[in-house]
Amino acid sequence: MDVNDKNFEEEVLKSDLPVLIEFWASWCVPCKAMDYVLNELEKEFIGKIKIVKLNVDRNKIIPKKYEISGIPTFMVIKERKIKDSKIGALSKNDLKKIIEKILAN
Amino acid sequence: MTNLHNAKKTCWNCPAAKLMGNVDFRACGQARDTLGKTAEGEEILIECRRRPELGYFEPNIAFEQCSEWEPSEYGYILKNMKVMILGIDGYLGWTLALKLINLGFQVSGLDNYTRRDCVMEKGSHTVVPILRMTERLIAVKEVLGKDINFRRIDLNDVSKIKEFIEEIKPEAIVHYAEIPSAPYSMANMEHAVKVQENNVLGTLKLLWIMKEVVPETSLIKLGTLGEYGTPLTGRPLFEGLFPADATIKWEDREWSLGGETTPRDPVSFYHVSKVQDTFNVLEACKYWWLRSYDVMQGVIFGVFTEEIAMDKKLRTRFDIDEWFGTVINRFVAQSVIGIPLTLYGKGEQIRGFIALNDAMQCMVRLIISPPEPGQYDVVNQVSGLYKLSELAETVAKVGNEKFNLNVKIQRIENPRVEADTHPFEVVSRKLPRVFGFTPQVELEDEIERMIKVLLESEIKNRIEMKKHTVFPVTTWQGEKREMRNLEKYEPGTKEIKGYKPIFDT
Repeated sequence: MDVNDKNFEEEVLKSDLPVLIEFWASWCVPCKAMDYVLNELEKEFIGKIKIVKLNVDRNKIIPKKYEISGIPTFMVIKERKIKDSKIGALSKNDLKKIIEKILAN
Repeated sequence: MTNLHNAKKTCWNCPAAKLMGNVDFRACGQARDTLGKTAEGEEILIECRRRPELGYFEPNIAFEQCSEWEPSEYGYILKNMKVMILGIDGYLGWTLALKLINLGFQVSGLDNYTRRDCVMEKGSHTVVPILRMTERLIAVKEVLGKDINFRRIDLNDVSKIKEFIEEIKPEAIVHYAEIPSAPYSMANMEHAVKVQENNVLGTLKLLWIMKEVVPETSLIKLGTLGEYGTPLTGRPLFEGLFPADATIKWEDREWSLGGETTPRDPVSFYHVSKVQDTFNVLEACKYWWLRSYDVMQGVIFGVFTEEIAMDKKLRTRFDIDEWFGTVINRFVAQSVIGIPLTLYGKGEQIRGFIALNDAMQCMVRLIISPPEPGQYDVVNQVSGLYKLSELAETVAKVGNEKFNLNVKIQRIENPRVEADTHPFEVVSRKLPRVFGFTPQVELEDEIERMIKVLLESEIKNRIEMKKHTVFPVTTWQGEKREMRNLEKYEPGTKEIKGYKPIFDT
């Protein structure tokens, strides 16, 4: 799902599940390509982790707050805290490892 | 679903939306400029050119909610959408113009008749007679009741192109204005230079003009499946960019290839021009937020669309010569006048194909579902993969069974430098899955329609007149000579050899 500056608090910070966020933009070719993998992971980890996307052109507050300096950036937030953050397209295996690490803790 | 594929797209995709405010050009991985440009809360707003009464607003009205977009069998269509076709006098350009007019689009176009000139220069002609452009425009008015705003302009004439685009302000530009012939580009230095100048420099100029005049207009650019070549490893031909679950492994490490361009392996100077275009368009999207679909089209064939069928005066051209005739079109012409269908080399080459009518359906779907700002995407526009020897069998079968033609097949020495036995796997998922494309044309039906048209006595005579131009007489080394005949055989008597194509939709 898409989140934005306005519902970030509700959808991400107050989420009971840990949240994997992709910061993306329409002009970012690798970001566009990641959609498919995120959908797959969403199905695979249903009920365990929440996966959302935030567009950095259409939302300015959150990207600034989290100092997003390059996209795609993948970030995991759990109980309001950043647990992990990586810049650049990632393979499905890499993303899986990040998720599994969070779920193990 | 097929009709609603673009329902959820928003102003963000819409060519009527003029982007205002905080547009931030940078590359993936490039740090955001925080020196005042990105003040907190300053969002990107738009102004709608069609609904100025809305003022400035966030670009989030979906097509299905907007009064300017109306549902149709192809998806939501922008009312009276202005589409400019570059190369409107050609086989595809003319056919698309008719289709768009029939669907209520406002069509404009330009052409400098390069295709007519090149075919004439090579001593051939379109075997389906076509009218001059001035007469074509009158015929369209008569039959479809609408005008096409046409201007005779060379793609390389920057000032005229710019003036025309400024005047029309098209909401989509379809770029068909390239010289589409591999053998033509290999004939000699002058031909190679002409093809690359027209294609590469013409497109580069167009990009600069679009940046300045119509940055929110999508560019639908015709590439070719031939840009990828035929990798002998059997690696699939992805849709231009690697999917995110593609990885590269080296020693004990692994990386995502997601979004990176896939390898290109062009097979002629013409194909090289298309590859160069691909990179120029990709970069323009990256640097200036232009938006484009790069269409990797399979080999096209056919004579039929609903609009062409309305009146003989609306017919599109049909070339059969070695330079501009595509392979099924050449086979069909040969079958009609009793020349054996001519395969090059082993005849085990595999190619992706699409019928004219299906290609037009794809183009309409792409036009009405524009990319987002800066988005460059690639689609493989193909509806089937066939081995050329099997295609020859199919044409022979239709010709013999339906028209009593007594069709034979022959193999000649291959004038080209290409693998004639190779694996072939093509991925073509985006058009069916994202744009709701369903192929409508069965190969054998279209071949039957083509034979029927080409058997009309005037057309058959025009094929007879130019039958010598069907045979290749120029090699990839630029050498001019007759190709040796390798074998002649009856259809149905030979075992089909080589790889089986894999089509991944």
